[in-house]
Amino acid sequence: MSLNQHAIQEGSAGIEHIDGLYGYALVLTQNRTDAEDLVQETYVRAIRAMGRLRPDSNVKGWLFTILRNVWLNELRQRRRAPEVLDVEADERTANLADETTTDPHDVYVGKLERRHVRLAIQQLPEEAREVILLREWEELSYQEIATVLDCPVGTVMSRLARARSKLRDLLCSLLPNSYPCPERKVAAE
Amino acid sequence: MSACDDYRSMIPLFLDDELRGNELQDFQTHIMGCPACKELLAEEQALSQLLHRTRPLYQAPEVLRAHVSDIISSEVQSPFHAPERLRQRILRILAFPQRSVARPTLRWGQLAAVGLVTALAVLFVPQMVERARANAFVETAAATHRSYLEGNLPMEIHTSSPPAVTAWFAGKVPFHFQLPESQQPLNGQQIYQLNGSRLVNFRGAYAALTTYEMRGDKISLLVVPDNSARAEGGEAVRSGSLTFHYHVVGDFKVITWSNHGLTYALVSSLPGSAQQSCLVCHQNMADRLKFSSRQ
Repeated sequence: MSLNQHAIQEGSAGIEHIDGLYGYALVLTQNRTDAEDLVQETYVRAIRAMGRLRPDSNVKGWLFTILRNVWLNELRQRRRAPEVLDVEADERTANLADETTTDPHDVYVGKLERRHVRLAIQQLPEEAREVILLREWEELSYQEIATVLDCPVGTVMSRLARARSKLRDLLCSLLPNSYPCPERKVAAE
Repeated sequence: MSACDDYRSMIPLFLDDELRGNELQDFQTHIMGCPACKELLAEEQALSQLLHRTRPLYQAPEVLRAHVSDIISSEVQSPFHAPERLRQRILRILAFPQRSVARPTLRWGQLAAVGLVTALAVLFVPQMVERARANAFVETAAATHRSYLEGNLPMEIHTSSPPAVTAWFAGKVPFHFQLPESQQPLNGQQIYQLNGSRLVNFRGAYAALTTYEMRGDKISLLVVPDNSARAEGGEAVRSGSLTFHYHVVGDFKVITWSNHGLTYALVSSLPGSAQQSCLVCHQNMADRLKFSSRQ
């Protein structure tokens, strides 16, 4: 029996990646309902195909690849751009991650940082959004990202450099206290 | 293009753990001696740290989590999909009027037999489950090692420092894992070299994989909590308070043991029996006799 069959029988086949997949789905769709549907469809397809997966396969990268392929197929079927909604609009359903600190000030600062980082990410172009999410939050290697995005490693590196540069500019204007602009620091000196 | 430009272009690679060997050493040496590059690295690290503080960026809604769990559970209950033709046949059979079949009454003897079977099942099924899990762990450790040898499982942290590995796993695996520094040099030489570590999946949760190298042979150590798998089966040898289980899976020797709530699997292709392979690292240790002959 393969590892994946074991995982299915234990009822936990890749469930630990659900937060990461949901984040990636939000980055792609920018719409909560579409993101939830996308994650659900990803698991449906993954479970059907899991029996064919080798025990030593990279399940995480594989799930992210499935999610992206499902989304691209969906876009082809729709033949139109996704409906863009503000994912920050409803704070009650924002599903903020559990805070690791109980200090109210730290919790507030943490929430504020996350909120501004999300806003900054939303303002990036799609290819920058997905490459930076896969690297900074999901910690996929360049090779793993290249597999998910179906592009050469060199493309991953150049997209990542552009994404970081844009994100840096956005964050230093959104969060001047916790992330001062390097230029501003130099000017002050 | 100046030397600094070259090294500055390597800053993202360094932060993303994509620099290796000489490149990594050159980069670190340059940064130590170049204040301007060091400052740029600090700026990039500040961005990286800010982003890491916001992990996870999003959390899946509970409703979605429940739906996905249901999808997985339903797959567990029916792991095999009957072909459509078979489903139709069964539906046709069920559509026929059912014959009236009198349900036979169980006799006392039959009831006793059923009771005995139930009692035996209660006694032996947990042991069978434990054994099956232990076997699955050994097979997984061997498959993971094979994958590592084939280059499919690159290490996520490259270091020769056990404390660095311990720090890296903190918060990443759902158990406390501390890599011991138990190596005793033989004639002033290190017997084996720690290469690095990465996360792998075992029964739907993260497990710790650490790799070593010894005289060109690659060795891997897979660690999981002992509620996912216990060390069992194979050839058992006691050493102090521990019992080691020696298995041979294809070309690999797999040694498993459980200790302090964790179960370990050490996999290698070292020559000799699985038991003798322990001697390679323990040859200079007080317990070496435990591994030189069967207890």
